[in-house]
Amino acid sequence: MTQQLLNQAIHHCSRILIGKQQQIKLAITCLLANGHLLIEDLPGMGKTTLSHTLAKVLGLQYSRIQFTSDLLPADMLGINIFDNQAQTFQFHPGPIFSQLVLADEINRASPKTQSALLEAMEERQVSLDGVTRTLPSPFFVIGTQNPAHQAGTYPLPESQLDRFLMRIQLGYPDREAEKTMLLQQYNGEKPQVSEVMSYAQFTAAQQLTVGVHASDELLNYIIRLVTFSRESQQFANPLSPRATKALLSAAKCWAFINNRDYVLPEDVQAILPAVAEHRLRSNSSDINAQGSLSQALLEAVDPLA
Amino acid sequence: MSLWHKFIFKSKRNKVKQSAARDRQHQANNPAFIICSLVLIIFDLSLLDTVLGWISLLVACSVTIRIAIYFAYQKHMPTLRTLNLLALLSIIGLIYSAWPLGFLIGMVNLLVLACALKLMQVRSQRDFYQLVVSLLFLLGCGFIFQQSMAFTLLYSLLSLAVILALGFFHAPNLKVKQQLKQLTMLCLQALPIGLLLFLLLPQLPPLWQTPKAKSSETGLADKITPGDIARLSQSSELAFRATFEGNAPTQQNRYWRAIVMEDFDGRSWQIHPLRKQNRRFQQLVQQEFSPIVAGPSIDYDVIAEPTQQHWLYALDIAVPRTVKSQSEIWQSDEFQLISHQPLVSQYQYALRSYVQTMPRQPLSELDRKLNLSLPTQGNPLTQKWVSTLRQQYPHEQAFINVLLDYFKTENFSYTLRPKPMFVDPVDTFLFEQQAGFCSHYASALAYSLRLGGIPARIVAGYQGGELMAKARQQQYLSVYQYDAHAWVEAWLPDSGWTRLDPTTLVAPDRINFGLRQAMQEEGSFLADSPFALARLTNIALFNNLRLLLADMDYNWSRWVLGFDSQKQQDLFKAIVGKLTPQRLAMLGLAIVAVIGLLLTLFFMPHWYANRLNPVQALYQKALTLLGKNGQIRAHWQGPLDFSLHIQQHLPEAISQPFKRLTESYLQLNYQTQGQDKHKSVSHKKSINTMRRELRLLKNQLSKHQFL
Repeated sequence: MTQQLLNQAIHHCSRILIGKQQQIKLAITCLLANGHLLIEDLPGMGKTTLSHTLAKVLGLQYSRIQFTSDLLPADMLGINIFDNQAQTFQFHPGPIFSQLVLADEINRASPKTQSALLEAMEERQVSLDGVTRTLPSPFFVIGTQNPAHQAGTYPLPESQLDRFLMRIQLGYPDREAEKTMLLQQYNGEKPQVSEVMSYAQFTAAQQLTVGVHASDELLNYIIRLVTFSRESQQFANPLSPRATKALLSAAKCWAFINNRDYVLPEDVQAILPAVAEHRLRSNSSDINAQGSLSQALLEAVDPLA
Repeated sequence: MSLWHKFIFKSKRNKVKQSAARDRQHQANNPAFIICSLVLIIFDLSLLDTVLGWISLLVACSVTIRIAIYFAYQKHMPTLRTLNLLALLSIIGLIYSAWPLGFLIGMVNLLVLACALKLMQVRSQRDFYQLVVSLLFLLGCGFIFQQSMAFTLLYSLLSLAVILALGFFHAPNLKVKQQLKQLTMLCLQALPIGLLLFLLLPQLPPLWQTPKAKSSETGLADKITPGDIARLSQSSELAFRATFEGNAPTQQNRYWRAIVMEDFDGRSWQIHPLRKQNRRFQQLVQQEFSPIVAGPSIDYDVIAEPTQQHWLYALDIAVPRTVKSQSEIWQSDEFQLISHQPLVSQYQYALRSYVQTMPRQPLSELDRKLNLSLPTQGNPLTQKWVSTLRQQYPHEQAFINVLLDYFKTENFSYTLRPKPMFVDPVDTFLFEQQAGFCSHYASALAYSLRLGGIPARIVAGYQGGELMAKARQQQYLSVYQYDAHAWVEAWLPDSGWTRLDPTTLVAPDRINFGLRQAMQEEGSFLADSPFALARLTNIALFNNLRLLLADMDYNWSRWVLGFDSQKQQDLFKAIVGKLTPQRLAMLGLAIVAVIGLLLTLFFMPHWYANRLNPVQALYQKALTLLGKNGQIRAHWQGPLDFSLHIQQHLPEAISQPFKRLTESYLQLNYQTQGQDKHKSVSHKKSINTMRRELRLLKNQLSKHQFL
């Protein structure tokens, strides 16, 4: 039942973002695993559209912060303003107090603002002037960023990249998809985005994914993968225990979306590039070699052994 | 990996690398190929004499192709069609050009050729393994031709390089330091096994006939035409070494007998055909000459360098000292020692020589006949001169003294650069030139003696040698090719065969101090090889270096190459005491058992893990079955993906059982929960399902004629 709803949601999103079903599926998996999502791609690839659509479809309260180099933490978190009438400070919550926050072009903000956001992501609460305020639940951040070599960016440090459960890349649509997109525009059809499931249903689904069974063999496979990343000389940044946990929870959610109550090695393989790619860093100075790191990791480890 | 991965990796910069990661092993810029190329070319250079010219050329081509591909000067490998054509032509060429060279050389050439072609062709993992194995075998073959310490070192290094290439092939991204570390680990593990095998496994005799070609190029020849030995004197190559139990004899007494020549045709001396015939007959009936010996003796071991010939070197009069030497050496009537096997590699034998006993053997009819025979014509001056002398001095000893006196009183000189004497060489030498070296003197004297009715013959061998001795070490003597010498033996009724060396009278230095001393004035010692270390004895550093190298080489020959079955038996004796067949068998078994045990311990965890889980084992069996039919699971592929792959590539009759088997496997392995899952009924049921599906899969595969 729940799986049906989720698949409907995926289907719905892919009507908006044509030909990107796998990425949408991964994004929903990420949210289902209660993780934050980082979308990295060139401008104009549909990053914002995806996050916007996700919020709508899953019935989440949505706000968007456009990151610029002069954005200050207060702009995002909120501010205490003196109320003359009440003779008290009144707290005006910032855009971060939403269930789904789109942090657009996250790497354009100064490191100070970035770390304020990332603290909120990890703690799911905000401390301002000595008062700690809890953020709404569920709380998701979808960050988008341009590839690091674009002008005017502050690349996120590894420690902050690690906070994102997944990083996905949208990539160019294939010919068919792009043609469909053009035709839609030409015909003036604009697919309407509607809510497919309520956030209560979504939270319930999150609860169900915990029950997905991961056998000993599967856990061993994950451990082997992680250990390989630490023992091999290929990776400068091996996978952290946080990444290990992320791998398992993402794999469980993937299995859940695929209508299974147990995890298969294929599930791990499916989510691993999204979960691990941004955490690994190549040891070699060869820039071209960096793209295939998670692929190399997968190919080095036998799921059966 | 399932299809959708491609979506994620579609962005531009990843696209190229995705396939690259998969085939990095086989990529042309893998250092493994370069290492193999270098090994092949170095090996080829080390055996340039043996490997045919055009095959060397092919090797060079193949290596060039590899290097060009490695550095991306050239992007395309030669096509299979080209290579097949090339292989066919090469085989025809090889049959044509290597047929006369004999089996062994032909085979080595074939192997080099195969390696060169394989190097051009290598595409898959299997190809590379074949190349590596062939290269290792080739390096082993190298030892047939080269056994010195330097070459052993070279070939060992090359073998290590091949193993390093294997490492690079499997992990092209690993750093060199890491590769070397792994290589060292491997070698350290292999070392004890290798030592054990070398020391204790029975040493087998060669399984094939080794080549006998090129005999006359180095060493003594079985025919002397005066003028021939001058060339030999110029070579500083080692002839043999002798290790003495006690003190070595003095320089003047070191006459090493090698060949006895009894047939003289007026120009050259050689072994008499009748003698050869007689020898063959005696060997056939296993009859052996044993000299009567008495008096003080010297014990020594000789390590002879390979000559491809049968003759051995010994001081007069030698008898084989050990059982092994006795069985391998045959002694002929002229005190000559002959090995049953040609000396294709360094050969060590043990002798005892009775120095002071002059041979008082009776002169047989055959001996008399051979040693008095004269050429029918030529050298008229000598004939006339001898017949006059013989009339004046009827007594043998007096006649001999007069002959020797002639050398002393006339103005004879010793030279390594005599003028050629074509017509009546003995006449020319005795009465015109009066300058020559040992074989001129020996030839003239022996001929004159025969003319005078005294049985005489020429002995060719070595005289002298360089004594090397260190504290606490046995004395050993190195004899080089430039120590080659020829002298005369005459048979006198009272003393039997007597050694007469006319060279001593003319050039006493040659006998007392060696050739180097004797040739100091003339400057002709090793004149042809200006860089020979032996020429540089005046510079202390070089002399020390030369002696050090000689010493190292000696110890290498003695302890490593000389480790034969005899020494092995001594070692056995030291380990197990008395040598009985049972103990020997026990020891052999023990060694094999120890090695087996070590290997078992090494592989045990692997086997055990496989055996532990019947679910895994059944699934692995199915994988093996499919693997035999060309459907190999990539080692990173998950079971579900592989099942889909099979469904796409094989007919349904095969893919369905495998699909069901995979489902059961997945269920058992990943779905079932709880600690007691191995005991539950459904578990057993599922295993039975797997068994059934496995059988079905097997049947279907054989039915579709895949097996």
